[in-house]
Amino acid sequence: MRLANLIGGVFVLILGLAVVFFSLQLTYYSEFGPGPGFLPLWVGIIISACAIYVVIDLLRKQGGKEEFFKPRTRLGLQIFITIIITFLLLPLLGFAIGLAFFIGVTMRMMGKHRWAPCALTAIITAIGIHFIFISWLTIPLPRGLIGW
Amino acid sequence: MELLNNLYTGFSIALTLNNIVYCLVGVLFGQIVGVLPGIGAPTAIALLLPLTYKVNPTSALIMFAGIYYGVAYGGTITSVLINVPGESSTVMTCIDGYQMAQKGRAGAALSVAAIGSFLAGTISIIILMAFAPALANFALRFGPPEYFALTAMAFGLLTVFGGEQPIKTIISTMFGLLIATIGLDVVSGMPRFAFGVPQLLGGIDFIVIICGMFGVAEVFSSIEEPEEGEIIKQKMHLRDLFLTWEEWIASRWAILRGGVIGFIVGMIPAGGITTASFLAYLGEKRFSKHPERFGKGAIEGVAAPESANNSASISGFAPLLALGIPGSPTTAVMLAGFMMWGIRPGPMLFKTNPDLVWGLISSMYIGNFLLLLINIFLIPAFVALLRLPYTIIMGFIVIFASVGAYSVNNNFFDVWMMLGFAVLGYLMRKLQYPIVPLVLGLVLGNLSENSLRQALLISGGSFSIFFNRPISLLFIIAAILAYLTPVLRWAWKSVGHPKA
Repeated sequence: MRLANLIGGVFVLILGLAVVFFSLQLTYYSEFGPGPGFLPLWVGIIISACAIYVVIDLLRKQGGKEEFFKPRTRLGLQIFITIIITFLLLPLLGFAIGLAFFIGVTMRMMGKHRWAPCALTAIITAIGIHFIFISWLTIPLPRGLIGW
Repeated sequence: MELLNNLYTGFSIALTLNNIVYCLVGVLFGQIVGVLPGIGAPTAIALLLPLTYKVNPTSALIMFAGIYYGVAYGGTITSVLINVPGESSTVMTCIDGYQMAQKGRAGAALSVAAIGSFLAGTISIIILMAFAPALANFALRFGPPEYFALTAMAFGLLTVFGGEQPIKTIISTMFGLLIATIGLDVVSGMPRFAFGVPQLLGGIDFIVIICGMFGVAEVFSSIEEPEEGEIIKQKMHLRDLFLTWEEWIASRWAILRGGVIGFIVGMIPAGGITTASFLAYLGEKRFSKHPERFGKGAIEGVAAPESANNSASISGFAPLLALGIPGSPTTAVMLAGFMMWGIRPGPMLFKTNPDLVWGLISSMYIGNFLLLLINIFLIPAFVALLRLPYTIIMGFIVIFASVGAYSVNNNFFDVWMMLGFAVLGYLMRKLQYPIVPLVLGLVLGNLSENSLRQALLISGGSFSIFFNRPISLLFIIAAILAYLTPVLRWAWKSVGHPKA
């Protein structure tokens, strides 16, 4: 966890410095008082200073026992990838069928259920999303190639 | 007399059939959310917010408030029966609540939590009714310097209450302020941190961030480290819910003390219901003649934190309604709701929207009464919910978060942004950067920056404006003291008080 925290601290430091860099390109002070770069510049400076403290503090300390990756991190990553695939498919499948696909796949992945209950849940989900969000709440969600 | 008039106005709105239904839906939903793992009040409200564009704001806020205080009731069930807090605000209830359940007094623990919450909540509403308008009147004197100083104090208090690592709390707050600056600058019209992306010119919508950081990020964390516990199998009869005379005597003052602590902490920006229940428990233990009973099933150890969290969830509405300053992530999400409906909370709200303010406050009496009934008669139904597979809960969260993010601007860019913020939220949790300061920084960022710029414009660039005005000076001193708290704690430890 110490290494992960260290990487996190360095990332925050880079972000802070980037904020300072981009803020300097904005007006710091104008005739109407502080300009658009005033607050971001100070925010960037504070982030950078805090990040330096975090990094130095971590370098001085011994590492704890806690690991960054847990036994179930892999499952979390699989769910994350499934969400990405679902979002990529949403314009083609539409929200109702796309998110139903997500439910079916993750049920199978996480709950180790057989395909039949997963498919049934997915169908109920698709019908539910269509009627609740599209028909009842009239949210203009994309309907995909099938038009549902 | 004015108070009675306000009460009459409030009840005439809250007691319409439509609003009673919204209140009932809110408290039931809150109770369910409290029972279910991996979803909290800010997530639940954020996920529902985009779906309430067309609903009357008063009705929607009555429902959201019901969710907020309902969650604290619901979280108690899992704390007592499986030693897993359904909500962070019920963490302290686990200690003695679970011990009581193991001794066969689960019914009494749930009962004292419900009664304590109801009594403390009701007293809290009465004080809120008297206090909130006074606070609003006081806030009428606020100008830009006071508002900037107030937000600075709120950010400072986050370092006191925000977590174990104050530096990470400050970083998190600054992240929130930074995200709030993305988009066109309102004064100069100059784009900031948009990098030529047209969708970023209008800024990043609060709903998108909340759905990602509280909704989907929580899914990743819950999959990785599921909250599991063995449910205590105990047949509960209605008579088990009644307290014995000794139990009632032991808990009555704990309820009152917890309620008072909760009310005060709930009003402090960044205080929140979790801190309230924590402090109430510690206070009760210190106050007790038998502190050795705490941790072994002392009923006061359930009564005090449960009364405090409900009291705090109600008093948190005082700064939100009267000042426009949210004290917790849930009220921050509600502030986003106000903005969505084009309503600006603050001192003028009591004059411009009295129906909304008094309707909302009066609905809390109804909501708390409904929750008392629900928690006496429907506990088994909510216990059954614990058997719901997490896959289904996770599916619901992803569906609502995706639909919510898309419906903000009807584009897929926001859906991807939501996922990006989910990853950020997950990593922040993992690396112990608190999320709440980011949310408060984000929601108060514009108010803070605009007030700062207006104040400096008035003073011709002199920072003395913040020190010349008494209210502003008071807030600035409080902010400085709050920021110095970590240094003071460190100094206290160094001079030989290692337990501080």
